[in-house]
Amino acid sequence: MALDDVPRLGCGRSIDSIWATIERPPTAHEEQCDHCQTARTRLERLSEETRALRESDVHDPALKPGPGIKDAIMDVARAEVRRGSRILLRSADNGTTEISEQALSSLVRFAAAAIPGVHSRRCRIEIRPAASSIAGEDDPSGTAGNATTAGPRLIVNLRVAAAPGIDIPLMAEVLRHEISNAIPAGVGIGAGTVNITVEDLYDV
Amino acid sequence: MGDHGPGFEPDLDEGSIVARAQDGDLAAFEHLVLTYQYRLFRLAYRMLNDRGEAEDIVQETLTTSWCGLPMLADADAFGGWIYRLATNKCLDVLRKRSAHAESIVDSDDMDAIPGARARSVGWDPAHEAEWSAEQDGLTALLKTLPPAQRACWLLREMHGRSYAEIGVTLKISPTAVRGTLARARHQIAEGMSQWR
Repeated sequence: MALDDVPRLGCGRSIDSIWATIERPPTAHEEQCDHCQTARTRLERLSEETRALRESDVHDPALKPGPGIKDAIMDVARAEVRRGSRILLRSADNGTTEISEQALSSLVRFAAAAIPGVHSRRCRIEIRPAASSIAGEDDPSGTAGNATTAGPRLIVNLRVAAAPGIDIPLMAEVLRHEISNAIPAGVGIGAGTVNITVEDLYDV
Repeated sequence: MGDHGPGFEPDLDEGSIVARAQDGDLAAFEHLVLTYQYRLFRLAYRMLNDRGEAEDIVQETLTTSWCGLPMLADADAFGGWIYRLATNKCLDVLRKRSAHAESIVDSDDMDAIPGARARSVGWDPAHEAEWSAEQDGLTALLKTLPPAQRACWLLREMHGRSYAEIGVTLKISPTAVRGTLARARHQIAEGMSQWR
């Protein structure tokens, strides 16, 4: 669509340029020009009515969907609920033990909620089998004291939004500490690695 | 702890609520449904002038969003994405309608909404009647705009969406959005000037 494909007045100005400055007093040209004055009067009226319609639509009880709509949407969502993948904690001849990623994420988010200035976002959790932990993989978290040393170790990848102005390295350490304590306390499995990504700063 | 997680902290930013819904948190998704169902209904109603169809748009859009959420790359893009889904569904309905019949302009449509004219604020009744008549006039003029122009005007003026986002929705450049809006405003202002 061509740039010039906008309505223009007899004086050559575009409707758009008048609209853009409608909140300001008329310019010297606008005060002199009949085309501009007529257009301004019309657009001022349009602007006022647009605002009035916006306000009245927002508050008009008739302009709301019926209460059954939300319920129908949530019914579908519940029927197709996603629990994420399941994490295999133990596999032996007498049976396996798994935990849903979502259950673990809930624990992680609950721990994160205790820290001001952090909003937890997406959370992915993997597991490193017991064998490879023992095989000398490093333990960068330094939280071995409160983890089950020889068992499987979780790798938590948490994305967060932080409040602007926050000390991110300090916040991340506190958050890592909270999560590393909460997981063994909540489900008895060590949180081996807690990776934190600050993906956004939220508006306060 | 229940299936829905611990719920969420007060004042959580929308991006974080979206991210939790992406991970399957139903409470977070319900919060988004409550936030967006009214906005989407107002958009769809002003696009289609039919309550039942507008409700269908809201329901389909938000149901689709639940399935598509995990694939949304940027949690902060949820608003734009959901408006895009709803707008395009409205345009589809209008295309199907015009394939069936040409005449969709019916200035009596507003009467179909009970209480649509009943304004709650305690205004002077005479002023209120005049005001409400003018607004009905504006919505009647809105119905005369071509669908894409109407969508453009509603998204910008009623819903405050950005030029860039509207451009993506309507598959036109932000400059073309500016032009479309200017034509819509021009046409409505022209129509209003002929009222009295």
